[in-house]
Amino acid sequence: MKKCLALILALFLSLSAFSALADTFVMGIDPEYPPFSYLGDDGNYTGFDVEICKAACDLLGLDLEVFAVDWDNKLIQLDNRECDCVWSGMTILDSMKEAGYVISAPYYDNTQVLVVKADSGIASSADLKGKMVAVQLGTSGEALLNGDLADLTATFQELVTCQSFLMCFTELEGNAVDAVFVDLPVAAAYTAGKDNLTVLNENLGAEQYGIAFRSTDAELCEKIEGAVRQLVENGTYAEIAAKYPDIVNNLLFLSK
Amino acid sequence: MTLQTMILKMSDGFGKTCAIFFLTLLFSLPLGMLVALLRMSRNRVVSTITRLVISILRGTPLMLQLLAVTYGPYYLFGISVSRNKLIPVVVAFSINYAAYFAEIYRGGISSMPVGQYEAAKVLGYSRVQTFLRIILPQVVKRILPSVTNEVVTLVKDTSMAFTVSYQEMFTIGKQIANSQTSFVPFLVAGVFYYVFNLLVDFVMGRAEKRLDYYR
Repeated sequence: MKKCLALILALFLSLSAFSALADTFVMGIDPEYPPFSYLGDDGNYTGFDVEICKAACDLLGLDLEVFAVDWDNKLIQLDNRECDCVWSGMTILDSMKEAGYVISAPYYDNTQVLVVKADSGIASSADLKGKMVAVQLGTSGEALLNGDLADLTATFQELVTCQSFLMCFTELEGNAVDAVFVDLPVAAAYTAGKDNLTVLNENLGAEQYGIAFRSTDAELCEKIEGAVRQLVENGTYAEIAAKYPDIVNNLLFLSK
Repeated sequence: MTLQTMILKMSDGFGKTCAIFFLTLLFSLPLGMLVALLRMSRNRVVSTITRLVISILRGTPLMLQLLAVTYGPYYLFGISVSRNKLIPVVVAFSINYAAYFAEIYRGGISSMPVGQYEAAKVLGYSRVQTFLRIILPQVVKRILPSVTNEVVTLVKDTSMAFTVSYQEMFTIGKQIANSQTSFVPFLVAGVFYYVFNLLVDFVMGRAEKRLDYYR
């Protein structure tokens, strides 16, 4: 029995050692975050971040594997080597740097906005006193409302945390909440063609997106960043970005 | 965040967990009896329809049923989503658990020997009297362990309410885990559920003992 167990263990170890040697780069994404990362019409993961990562891996000769993380536990999954990076419209937080994660240079300027019903009469965050506001659990928006914007949150009747942004909007359209606090690109994508919803013109939090790597992977981060720089130089980056008109104006590498 | 604030915040949510638990039991235990009787009805149409409903309720995930009860009315009929999430959550849980309880009741009722019905008839009991005075008390004794099983499962299933953003203990635990990048809140949640279930075990054990007559 003991021998058998040892054998299985040995097999397991050698297998995991082997997979570490193989040139596979596992990209951790939130599969529900269009247009950065989402399930495409063909059933494969796609989005701006996924396409850039694929192009970068092609340059470096790496096999790309896209892994859908549980967004609430993304950093724990990264530490557990379930993926090699988290690259999915991820807001760079100070707490990540403090915890030792290697964070790439920011590539996107994000804006947090409020989405309300067009006929609600809510014109700015000041009108949210005593109202119900929904935010997606585990997003930077939630962190903001419980951190820097805690004073604003205190004026709400209740802050409702939903599992996905789709549920946030369903709650809004179903009259269960009065406003949704969400990233601008998501708001723009969801409200497109919907006359009953309005995106308020008030930026509630400027923040930037980056890629997170394990604390021991500074080299890997440099490698990937170098490949992305090459993509910017040879024009592939702009080509891919052109496919995503909702976000193209906020991409930092293109404005320079 | 210290462990103390963590536990304090989570016990806030624990009140809501308890609300789901007790309200679900309050509604699903009697509803289950009604469903069991409909299921055993001599009317073919009634029993077939009930069987189909039970099969759907037991054959689909509770998570989907929660979503259907909460958001279904809005998508189908444009009825506003309830602001108090406790209502759809308790409705979904009660319907789902009633289906399981119904099958437990049915098993208990049909395990009673026919001779008892015949004897009751000879003694001049009506059908209702036979059921209430002779059959039901024995059924309760017999099915109690299976009911305990479901009740224990219910304690843990309350965590499913997070799918419709009801802020019960587990949802709050997830929020803390996320903001602190720590697994400790899940450990705390585990302890909460376990202690609650110890209590359930104790109460149900006492009940079983008290009903342990005729032996």
